[in-house]
Amino acid sequence: MALVTYIEHDGTRHPVEVPDGDSVMQGAINNMIQGIVGECGGGLACATCHCYVDDAWTGRVGPPSASEMEMLESTAEEKKPSSRLSCQIAVSKALDGLVVRLPATQF
Amino acid sequence: MGTTQASHEYSIPAHVPAELVRPIGLTEGPEFLAAPHAFMADLVTTQPRIFFSPSHHATNAWCVTHYEDVYHVLRHPEIFTTRGSTAFPRDPNNYFHLIPLEIDPPDHRKYRALLDPRLSPKSVAKLEGTIRKLANDLIDEILDQGGCEFTKAFGRPLPVSVFLDLMGLPQDMRDTFVRWAMGLLHAQDRQIAGKAMQETVAYLQTVIQEKTRHPDDGAVSAIVHGQPGGEPLSGQEIFGFVFFLFIAGLDTVFATLNNIFLWLAQNPARRQEIIDNPGNIDAVLEELLRVFSVTFSGRNLTQDYEMHGVKMKKGDKVTCILPAANYDPAAFPNPKEVNFHRPRKPTLAFTAGVHSCMGAHLARLEMKIALVEFLRRIPNFQVKEGTKIEYWPGGVIGPKMLPLTW
Repeated sequence: MALVTYIEHDGTRHPVEVPDGDSVMQGAINNMIQGIVGECGGGLACATCHCYVDDAWTGRVGPPSASEMEMLESTAEEKKPSSRLSCQIAVSKALDGLVVRLPATQF
Repeated sequence: MGTTQASHEYSIPAHVPAELVRPIGLTEGPEFLAAPHAFMADLVTTQPRIFFSPSHHATNAWCVTHYEDVYHVLRHPEIFTTRGSTAFPRDPNNYFHLIPLEIDPPDHRKYRALLDPRLSPKSVAKLEGTIRKLANDLIDEILDQGGCEFTKAFGRPLPVSVFLDLMGLPQDMRDTFVRWAMGLLHAQDRQIAGKAMQETVAYLQTVIQEKTRHPDDGAVSAIVHGQPGGEPLSGQEIFGFVFFLFIAGLDTVFATLNNIFLWLAQNPARRQEIIDNPGNIDAVLEELLRVFSVTFSGRNLTQDYEMHGVKMKKGDKVTCILPAANYDPAAFPNPKEVNFHRPRKPTLAFTAGVHSCMGAHLARLEMKIALVEFLRRIPNFQVKEGTKIEYWPGGVIGPKMLPLTW
């Protein structure tokens, strides 16, 4: 279990407990957080679970894989160095306290 | 609207409370067929949150209409499975699954992975020039005629042409595919439907054989030669995949275009609004997709399950009425208003969850190009005088014919 804080584009904060092994995308979906769509269900096929990892956490979360990097080219909002697809970030105790910011739109 | 008084005529499972049985005639009754989207929009507020819709011709199923509930169902495939949920008739002795729709996670992913790369936003963007040319070729044929039957002249051939390109099939098959698609999906006559099915199956099997011998860069070849998890697909899997793309990819875009262009023909001021705001075209399309969604998501329960106090049983069928959920006032305030400046919010036009439409990006691109190019070259048009618009019964909602004049 890790506490993940999702910050929506308008500044609304959603602190949520996410079980180990779930993705950051699933944590958002299961709590009806609107800023993450996750249209393809975690298959690296849609780029609608785009998030920006808070600067303090980018090191611990790690970089995207090559195929995720390619998918990140298709995000609706600007891709930044901190951009990740949240379906590809697996939650663990090491990420307790993680903060991710959500883009204004996902498609 | 009839309620329980008619329920004795249907075969209703014992666990379904009589007060939740609502024979509303979904996809087939006269009230539905008179104005299907208005009919479905009203279900959210006039029917119980979850109700049971019996039918003589279609599926006896629990119906879910609220945005939040539909997302819940679609995001829990372990409870609400697609396996066995599709009514499409198949020969039990030669059965094939519709792939990847009827495959649950995690296996479903390995099939989608074969095609997802070529349907990503980046990949479909490469088709833009081709689609724009196809759209303009079709407009060239009708521009000087002062009118057309839109569904035949544009709504049907455009998605068929794009589909043929994507699959790696020759464009000269366009009219044949149009005929098959009409026969298979909209023939009221069983014989016509059966014949279309036979011809489609025979052709697709020939194509699969040919692509086996001569690989190319089309989608059929990718399926034939794909080795998800290191294993080639079986003949039945290949056929089920290719056939599914045929039935899933053609009728939905067709019906959506027909719905949208009917509305455009009836709303000249809104047409002008679209023309005057080219930068807002993405939002325009999303809003039109919201109000003119064309299809449903069917699921089967893998276990007994209770939702909002309604006790459903393992094996029950559940229908997500996607066009209704897109009119849920809790998700979209003042839902019947077509508003091109709504705050961004996902709609259910392409359904949701792991089985969300794999061709969504392509479909959006096709429809956007159709809107922009048609309005650019034919900005003023109306429904031909004296026309009575009639809708197809069944699971893909759109007008049968749309005669336009300009």
